Amino acid sequence: MSEIENKDTVTEEIQKDFVEDGKNKLIVKCKFCGSKILEKKTAKYVTQEKELPLMQQDANRKEGEVQKEMIIEYYHVDHMYVFENIGFTHPVENHKYLICADCDAGPIGYFDLDSKHSYVALSRIVHS
Amino acid sequence: MAKTYDYLLKLLLIGDSGVGKTSILFRFSEDAFNISFISTIGIDFKIRTIDLDGKKVKLQIWDTAGQERFRTITTAYYRGSMGIMLVYDVTNEKSFENIKNWIRNIEENASADVEKMILGNKCDLDSKRQVSKERGEQLAIEYQIKFVETSAKDSLNVEYAFFTLARDIKAKMEKKQEASNPTPRSGAHQLRANEQQRKPTSWLSRCNLL
Ligand SMILES: Nc1nc2c(ncn2[C@@H]2O[C@H](COP(=O)(O)OP(=O)(O)O)[C@@H](O)[C@H]2O)c(=O)[nH]1
Ligand SMILES: [Mg+2]
Ligand SMILES: [Zn+2]
Repeated sequence: MSEIENKDTVTEEIQKDFVEDGKNKLIVKCKFCGSKILEKKTAKYVTQEKELPLMQQDANRKEGEVQKEMIIEYYHVDHMYVFENIGFTHPVENHKYLICADCDAGPIGYFDLDSKHSYVALSRIVHS
Repeated sequence: MAKTYDYLLKLLLIGDSGVGKTSILFRFSEDAFNISFISTIGIDFKIRTIDLDGKKVKLQIWDTAGQERFRTITTAYYRGSMGIMLVYDVTNEKSFENIKNWIRNIEENASADVEKMILGNKCDLDSKRQVSKERGEQLAIEYQIKFVETSAKDSLNVEYAFFTLARDIKAKMEKKQEASNPTPRSGAHQLRANEQQRKPTSWLSRCNLL
């Protein structure tokens, strides 16, 4: 999986508002409880095609099925101790999912067990 | 990249199965969003950043992945840990009696100077209580370990407990540092200070004893 070139206008808009020098211009917080996840300018904005399980799974889905969606925009965190507050799930294949440390909402992103890098989905957090 | 914290402390939750270790780490949220997904996977650990007397302290808090059921908690699990929360359930006599066994297990497997604290969890279940607060306190005095009753369900004293354990570890580290090196800031554990704002996190501000 590689970081893809991004020409989408929506992502350009996001970059203008939230990205400065390739990094998160603002503090990254949990959408649900406001817990501080990342300090300003600690993570790199990247685009890549990567599926994440939905935060809210349909109760009527088939047993064992995991509903996912494609997400393009992520913040790349090169070391776990860069996070202010974060939770890691047990490993699933070669990932640990990232969750809010305060309200456990998630997945808000994933940790790659091979590279030890973390990726936080922009669509699953808020900036402040 | 420059270090963005002063101290990194690894903490563990230990105790019998069912006492509430996972609940202490995994907030008891009634919110339905992840019951189906995240809770079935389970939580490995959390990173929390707290402000301790002007220092930015990162806590890495680990839960057991159920190994306690088989009493297979060994040196590997304890490696690198600086603090241990010994948890029992106030509604379960056996879990209280087993604290002594857990302390022995720690003595056999963990580093000798690991800081400990005893938590009597589920104190919200007063009608089912089997272990009085006094007995908890007595045990703590016997082992010279700090003690507090908690409720993961009501988020009572959980934050206070982590804060207390972290402060004791930090004090111990600072003392060691002073003994080995008269100039602070040059010790092996002390990392570059981050001069950014240090507001307490929402997690801490929920603490009702601070
Ligand atoms: N009433 C009450 N129930 C709790 C509390 N903490 C945990 N529990 C319940 O005790 C059971 C075991 O908890 P769990 O966290 O899985 O224990 P572990 O095996 O030590 O990880 C679960 O049903 C929890 O809902 C608490 O503080 N109060
Ligand atoms: Mg557990
Ligand atoms: Zn949250």
